[in-house]
Amino acid sequence: MTVNGSRWSGDVPARQTLCDFLRDELELTGTHVGCEQGACGACTILGDGEAVRSCLMLAVQADGMELTTIEGMGEPGNLSTLQAAFLRHRAFQCGFCTPGFLASAAEILGSGRRYSRRELRDMLSGNVCRCTGYEPIVEAVFECQR
Amino acid sequence: MKPPPFEYHRPETLDEALAIMAEHGDQAMPLAGGQSLIPLLAMRLVRPGRIVDLSRVGELQQVSVAEGRVSIGAMARQRDIEHDPRMPGLVRVAVPHIGHFQIRNRGTVGGSLSHMDPAAEWPAIALALDAVMVAASVRGRRDITADAFMIGPQMTSLEPEELLVEVVLPMRTEGFGFAEVTRRGLGDFALAGAACQDKAVVVFGVGLRPQRLRVVEDFLNRGGGTRAEISAVAASEIQATDAIHTSSHYRRVVAAALVGAVIEESQARGGVA
Repeated sequence: MTVNGSRWSGDVPARQTLCDFLRDELELTGTHVGCEQGACGACTILGDGEAVRSCLMLAVQADGMELTTIEGMGEPGNLSTLQAAFLRHRAFQCGFCTPGFLASAAEILGSGRRYSRRELRDMLSGNVCRCTGYEPIVEAVFECQR
Repeated sequence: MKPPPFEYHRPETLDEALAIMAEHGDQAMPLAGGQSLIPLLAMRLVRPGRIVDLSRVGELQQVSVAEGRVSIGAMARQRDIEHDPRMPGLVRVAVPHIGHFQIRNRGTVGGSLSHMDPAAEWPAIALALDAVMVAASVRGRRDITADAFMIGPQMTSLEPEELLVEVVLPMRTEGFGFAEVTRRGLGDFALAGAACQDKAVVVFGVGLRPQRLRVVEDFLNRGGGTRAEISAVAASEIQATDAIHTSSHYRRVVAAALVGAVIEESQARGGVA
């Protein structure tokens, strides 16, 4: 598989979930593990450009896939457009949900379609944030559509 | 690691998959999109000896249209179905309610049907459209009616060595209606829902499996009535059970109201009800 542009190959235990593999084996701890049943969205990453729950995949299922985690989206001093918009709008407080939101938003923005705030609110409802009340998150994603 | 240990198989062809299922029977569980099975594994609510990952079986991902029927391979993803203009109208309006888009990116039609969550959309769609479920094993194929397929929560009439390989739906682009009530927007589980295609009426998320409302259908066939009258007939027929967030009374009342709404919606879409 390819993770953030780097090739990785090796054996994994069949029962290891993808989020545990990313965190424990690759030490990419920016992928956060919340509910571990697909509801909270914290562990969302990009798999072949699509937002997927890394807690709802076995690592072995990612064989051959191209994965992007938060570590592959930008870095301090060189934030992605979306990350910069999140910062400008103060679209996070504790930050636990943020990597998942950024992955979901990356697929939404990648479609090239322009959505209304109402539509974005629906589309972002697959990620749970307990701090912000969502307003600044929706604003940040909305702004990046321009 | 939260899931229990298991042997992992990843067949490339259907024949190979069926051979594994035949050899290991009820020790083997097929893995489709994993959006329900992986949490069940993580919570150790299931402990299969073997997991048979069907993601590389290309022949199960096919979608075809012929003679007024749409055949959907069991491993077709919700995402692909959602954006496929060849789908029946009821499918197009119902599929966006399945989980969130991240779930639809991985979840499959056959996985949802085989998992048989009573609150899920696909069993209700299948029942309303009189879908034919095609099951396969090394011994051959058989057709199962949607009604005979679904037994109860996580229970279908599939034999341990059988796989659901295809769902066949009539191509209907008019006369459908769909509605559900959730706690939190589009992607949440339905607390109660209703679907109809012409005079076929289904409620879901209210009991142990989706229910065809035959009394309501007879009422419609005899000429029907007002929306309130239809809902009243539905309320007396719906078999609701209590659930963690809802009482059986709530589910019956809400589902009955939704039945009235979806029938009105289907009539507005040129239905014959």
